[in-house]
Amino acid sequence: MARILCVAEKPSIAKAVANHLGGQARAENVRGIPWVKNYKFDYDFQRWGQSSVTFTCVAGHIQAQDFHERYRKWHSCPPADLFEAPIVTQIAEDKKAVASNIEAQARYNDILFIWTDCDREGEHIGGEIRDIALKVKPNMQVWRARFSNIERAHIIQAARTPIQLDEAQANAVAARIELDLRLGAAFTRMQTLSLQQMLPQQGEQKKVISYGSCQFPTLGFVVDRYLRVRNFVPEPFWYIRVGHERDGINVKFSWRRGHLFDRMTVIIIYERCLLAKYAKVTKMQKKPTKKWKPLPLTTVELQKMGSRFLRMTSQEVMKVAEDLYTKGWISYPRTETDQFDRDMDLRRNIQKQEQDNRWGGFATGLMNGGFNQPRNGRNNDKAHPPIHPVNYVNPNQLNDNEKRVYEFVVRRFLACCSEDAVGEATDVEIDYGGEIFHVHGLTVIERNYLDVYPYDKWESSQNLPRYVVGETFEPDEATMHDGKTTAPGYLTEPELIALMDANGIGTDATMAEHIAKIKEREYVIARPKGGGAGASNHGAAERGGGRGRGRGRGGRGGRGGAAAQNGAGGTSGVQEFIPTTLGVALIEGYDNVGFETSLSKPFLRKEMEAQMKAICEGRSTRNDVVQQNLEQYRAVFLRTQQQINVLKDAIRKYVGGANQG
Amino acid sequence: MANNLSAELTQHLNSRHFYPAAAWLQSFVSGTRPNTALPALKQTALFRLLATDITASLQAPTHTMFPQDALSPGTQTRTIAGPIICQVLDIEEIGLSRWAQVEQIEAKERGETTKGREIVRVVEDENEGGTVAPAVHSKGPFKLLLQDAKGAQIYAVDLRGIEGINTSMAMGTKLLLRNTDIRRAVAMLEPGNVQVLGGKIDALDKVWRDGRKERLMNAVKIAGEGVNT
Repeated sequence: MARILCVAEKPSIAKAVANHLGGQARAENVRGIPWVKNYKFDYDFQRWGQSSVTFTCVAGHIQAQDFHERYRKWHSCPPADLFEAPIVTQIAEDKKAVASNIEAQARYNDILFIWTDCDREGEHIGGEIRDIALKVKPNMQVWRARFSNIERAHIIQAARTPIQLDEAQANAVAARIELDLRLGAAFTRMQTLSLQQMLPQQGEQKKVISYGSCQFPTLGFVVDRYLRVRNFVPEPFWYIRVGHERDGINVKFSWRRGHLFDRMTVIIIYERCLLAKYAKVTKMQKKPTKKWKPLPLTTVELQKMGSRFLRMTSQEVMKVAEDLYTKGWISYPRTETDQFDRDMDLRRNIQKQEQDNRWGGFATGLMNGGFNQPRNGRNNDKAHPPIHPVNYVNPNQLNDNEKRVYEFVVRRFLACCSEDAVGEATDVEIDYGGEIFHVHGLTVIERNYLDVYPYDKWESSQNLPRYVVGETFEPDEATMHDGKTTAPGYLTEPELIALMDANGIGTDATMAEHIAKIKEREYVIARPKGGGAGASNHGAAERGGGRGRGRGRGGRGGRGGAAAQNGAGGTSGVQEFIPTTLGVALIEGYDNVGFETSLSKPFLRKEMEAQMKAICEGRSTRNDVVQQNLEQYRAVFLRTQQQINVLKDAIRKYVGGANQG
Repeated sequence: MANNLSAELTQHLNSRHFYPAAAWLQSFVSGTRPNTALPALKQTALFRLLATDITASLQAPTHTMFPQDALSPGTQTRTIAGPIICQVLDIEEIGLSRWAQVEQIEAKERGETTKGREIVRVVEDENEGGTVAPAVHSKGPFKLLLQDAKGAQIYAVDLRGIEGINTSMAMGTKLLLRNTDIRRAVAMLEPGNVQVLGGKIDALDKVWRDGRKERLMNAVKIAGEGVNT
């Protein structure tokens, strides 16, 4: 009988998968780590026949990278040395027990079957597990399971069809880890050592001014918007409206031009309209129109919608989605894919929702002929399908946040499988004194997907009377109005996510963490939109001082069940971000050193992200990418060091009242 | 010979509605080389004239200038047959707030432009590998300040969009206006009635371009105060 060691990325997955495969699997305790269990059972894998299985897990990355001891202390070397200082890879201090459990189990088994999450990070963790196992048992066969949700049939299918680890993805992660370590440490030390004594000290702790190659562009977006809001000056504008009553309906035509910023011009146009006296109908069009059902759900979209409609931060949404995935209710929530494979059995998932008393009826409608294949978006990461429910869960089994996220995922999925909403649009255009005025009407005829998807709004407007092209009429009134421009709002979380997405900052899976990071670093303050005076809410936020080695992170924490509890609870509505004086000072400082390569801009990081993709696709190598990026960032580093006074000036300008000059 | 040449050139320029001042023509002719072919000279003369300040270089008959009463805001509407040669002294985009224009200028100064939400680096040199700035023209509508040969100034608006009229056009560009509707002392430019002849007044253009951001910012301040009170 083959002996097979299965290793998942975190305890909850190990438990869930082991139970799917082995029924009530026997759980053995592991010495030194109470939260890891080794599940023992027999299972008939098609490939290896009836086997004796040990199913265990790790907790995220097992290895940790750090500089050689000689370079670890803040003052041990000039920060620039960190661009090439030797890096040591070791089992992380807190993962020693996890690693020795794998070593011990590897000795008794012939085949290693890796069950880490199917994404880049999971591939890298799988590589770490393999290395540990092969060290004690070099002739072990290594396989990997491909799965994207924890639903039973899916897991059994994955157990039947093992694949190989993807070395390229693991290499991309390795490149990212090295770059994050070197760049984070070099810039963090350099700016902390140069600027720290200029900041007001709180208690005994000296503040670390951390740098991360994703954090800074993220902060850059917040500062950029903040300055736009602050510098904004309202300006007056003028516009014309035309009113006409017909069939008892008061029709308001609005100006095609919207408004103009020159009063004289508008007055002249207005006078020309009045002199013309008659308006002529130039267009009368009734045509069928649709409101398209939403695209299948991606991570970025889930985060945006989460902060817009579910009263949660993007990080909270991800945490909840992760839990729902682990429990087997929804599919893997880290995905870029917005198209369902043609051969996926979506009806089966719809059917499971029929029992719900909120959307069950809608689901039944889809089962009885209402089903339509979802629209296809443009992205496919070839790893995971769009986020969708895989099983029905009674709301009583979920907490409040889980309920809201699950409801959203289900409604979105059902909406995707439904039909576009159908309506009739009416457009009337008139020429009045050489200017075009128009009115738009909408009659919703079939609501379709809107019935299950309350997050979209599409409602009928007032009815419009009949006009005939070519007819002329005398408007009842034409009026000239004024208004003024209003400042944009501070950057909200959905907007920030959209900006990060468009500019290649972070991956769909890490964006929420970068946002949490700049809050934690006290570079920005988050408050409910329109919160006004609530700015001091986060005054007591966690300080970044205690991290001895001062490294900035671009990577993802929060794996392996150790998710950071951040951003405080009880947030309601959309969050908006305001930079602290330190945040503004840092961005302005770097911008003043030089826009072309400013760390506040997304360009460098975006390029790095593209190169990670190139490694995954075999177009580039880990070594090339690391060297090329180090070179680029080193140029910025040297320039910043030479012009450190520019940074200091910015700090002085914004962070007054420092201890000493 | 010189007289003959002057006559030829005058005729050529007049046929294009340019009536050069005698002094200007004389100085042009005296600067020509004797062997240059006449067609080339004609072209050069027109080209040079387009680059002048027409208040000095033209001596136009009255029908090629704005009549006095057209400049009175009391006149509701009046059509001027022309053709009138005038030069552009100023242009403002009035469909976009001045502050938004300032922000656009600043993004350009930083070497950035946006493509939807994406921020794109713009590099002057194509070899650098960056995106080269696409020639994006302001959309309008526009309000212009025009000047005729006699120095009279008049506002004009371009509401329809006319090829060649936008905020990247050179100051001192010469326009030819025909059958223009003047309302309340403002010329209503229409695509069919305006011919953009080109040209430029270097000194004016430089001052205008260098000072554009500051003028916009000052205008914003003044407008802003009006709004706030």
